Amino acid sequence: MSLETVIRGIFSSLFIASVIRISTPIIFPAMGGLVAQVAGVPNMALEGIMNVGAFTGVMVSAFTGSIWLAILAGIIAGVLLALLLGVFHLHFKSDLFIAGLAANLMASGGTVFLLYIITGDKGNSSTVRSLSVPNVNIPLIKDIPFVGEILSGHPVFTYLAFFSVFLVYIFLYRTRFGTHLRAVGENPEAATTLGINVVRTRMIALAISGIFAALGGMNLSMAYLQLFQKEMAAGRGWIGIAAIHLGARKPVGVMLASILFGFADAISNQLGSLNIPSQLVQMIPYATTVVALAVYAIQQRQAALERMKKYQKEHIDSLAAEHQG
Amino acid sequence: MKSFLKSKGFREFLRIALALFIGLGLGFIITLFVSEDPINAYKSFLLGPLSRLNRIGDWLEESLTLILLGLTICIVFNASQWYIGVEGQMILGAMAAGIVSLYVPLPPAPRILLAFLAAMIVGALWGLIPALLKAYYNANELVTSLMLNTIALKLFEYVLKNFIMNEKSRSVSSESIGKEFRLGTFIPDLPFLHNIRELWIKQTSVTVMVYVVIAAVIVVYYLLYKTPFGYELRMVGINGKFARYGGINVNRAVIMSIMVSGIFAGLAGVHITLAIHNKLISNMTSGLGFEGINIAILASNNPLGVPIAGLLYGYLRAGSDVMERSSDVSRELVFVIQAMVLLLVTAERLLPVVRTRIAENQDSDNRNNGSKNAKQLKEEGESHVA
Repeated sequence: MSLETVIRGIFSSLFIASVIRISTPIIFPAMGGLVAQVAGVPNMALEGIMNVGAFTGVMVSAFTGSIWLAILAGIIAGVLLALLLGVFHLHFKSDLFIAGLAANLMASGGTVFLLYIITGDKGNSSTVRSLSVPNVNIPLIKDIPFVGEILSGHPVFTYLAFFSVFLVYIFLYRTRFGTHLRAVGENPEAATTLGINVVRTRMIALAISGIFAALGGMNLSMAYLQLFQKEMAAGRGWIGIAAIHLGARKPVGVMLASILFGFADAISNQLGSLNIPSQLVQMIPYATTVVALAVYAIQQRQAALERMKKYQKEHIDSLAAEHQG
Repeated sequence: MKSFLKSKGFREFLRIALALFIGLGLGFIITLFVSEDPINAYKSFLLGPLSRLNRIGDWLEESLTLILLGLTICIVFNASQWYIGVEGQMILGAMAAGIVSLYVPLPPAPRILLAFLAAMIVGALWGLIPALLKAYYNANELVTSLMLNTIALKLFEYVLKNFIMNEKSRSVSSESIGKEFRLGTFIPDLPFLHNIRELWIKQTSVTVMVYVVIAAVIVVYYLLYKTPFGYELRMVGINGKFARYGGINVNRAVIMSIMVSGIFAGLAGVHITLAIHNKLISNMTSGLGFEGINIAILASNNPLGVPIAGLLYGYLRAGSDVMERSSDVSRELVFVIQAMVLLLVTAERLLPVVRTRIAENQDSDNRNNGSKNAKQLKEEGESHVA
């Protein structure tokens, strides 16, 4: 295939639709991680929770035949793992970072362990028949030529992911509990003196991050594909954490950062049809993450320096004014 | 004796032993649920590595890699850098060592030395990117190092598939490295050791890397506790701001901690290439990236504890392999056990039996001395709050 086809592919509606689709499993964990991070408990177990959610959803849907029960079970499993992390960090004073890594280890080992017991296979769950969530065809919009192909026909989870950005924004900035949550993250001592229960608030924040990360995992195993694979999250939980940093811990910023990674991933998929070695193409999303983080960090540093200079200048000016006066 | 029982080291030991015990107990309960023959499955897990000489060899080989990875993490964690780019450094180190051993036209001894050198340099240099970003721009080293891990793995696969891969072999791998360019066995060729040496060479491939690892442990200990570099690094680890006001060049300490740690990740790469696989092969490092963290935490970030923790986890991993082969329980059980131990070891408040007993002892001590140190006061304060 020639470069021309690739470029034409990039400017097609299908490509934009694929960016949306690929961004979904990054937006979910990123939103969850954002809530936890804003509450001062950065959740490093997003990756593991995604795996657990993906696995539980597939297994419950295969054995009950109910998609809603499966989603519920996946969410519960994700929340339980997040709460385990919370109990160890908040009550037993484990280091949050290490505990998060332990939760990831438990999730990746545990899902493969159970997968083998249930299906006799360690790679994927193709031997059990699991379900997938329905796609949504939006009436009216689906008939608009270009826009319809982009916006309509995605799995339920995709719409839920973008809606969750709105939800998280409202939750963090327009509700009482969200304000408490941010206060706990900014200054736990001050929040305590105001009568906010820091431990409980953080526990709830972690639980919320568990819900979102589990949804992200189920998006992989019940929408993107219709089976569970070993290590299904494949780094998306970590990319979600990168998106939180890059999006300056604001819901919309985090969403845009997630879409950036989705875009890089979609580009690498498109380039896959060219005669470029696939390993190099597959590096693109990860390299984009590093470059984006670097650019962001450099900008932050410069902004801080400028603030400092401005402050110093004001300070000197005011001193000079005092002298004259 | 009494003071030994109250020492911090002993307390740590007791805590870790208890955590391990609980972890293994949990593993047994899980086995009870899933296995047809749980007793034998668990027996093969716990005793399997010792049952044959070649399994003892497997255990020791695995442990050597793990100890090097543990040392790597030990260095960065002592500087409080949450850097986990070990897997990338290891795979590129392995690649460098493999390329040198396969292609550089040198006689065996200098070629092996060059392979070591190349791996150590490459390991250190791959750490430079996240190190510079962290030191000068405060970019999150955790995320950048993780992303660079994936990039390094893809780079390795790319080089392997396009330049090194042996067309004839069925797997994605290089040709085997020539016998004379591999590492020799660790047992010296002395007359009275001759028979044992032959036996070990035949059944295992434990190499002179044993001595390299012992040296590495001593070097890291010396580096961290007996040199100005180590002092600065630990100061940055305890309190970065304080270290800066104390006149320590924090940026340099951060960069050096990550780069020096890369040297040992590179050594781990040498070990998997020149001692374990004897060639470059796809997925060489699978699942080893995070093991270093398990080991460093189990060793309380003390380099002298790393060999013990490494041998222990090497044993568990080797045991889980034996269990998978000889029973119906899969080896992933060991990850669940490791995760449990990791959680329990870092849980300061947990395992109260140990804590209260120590606290009682300290209390009686305090009464004798009539004074309390600040830390105990703080701990008491915390327990009141709780």
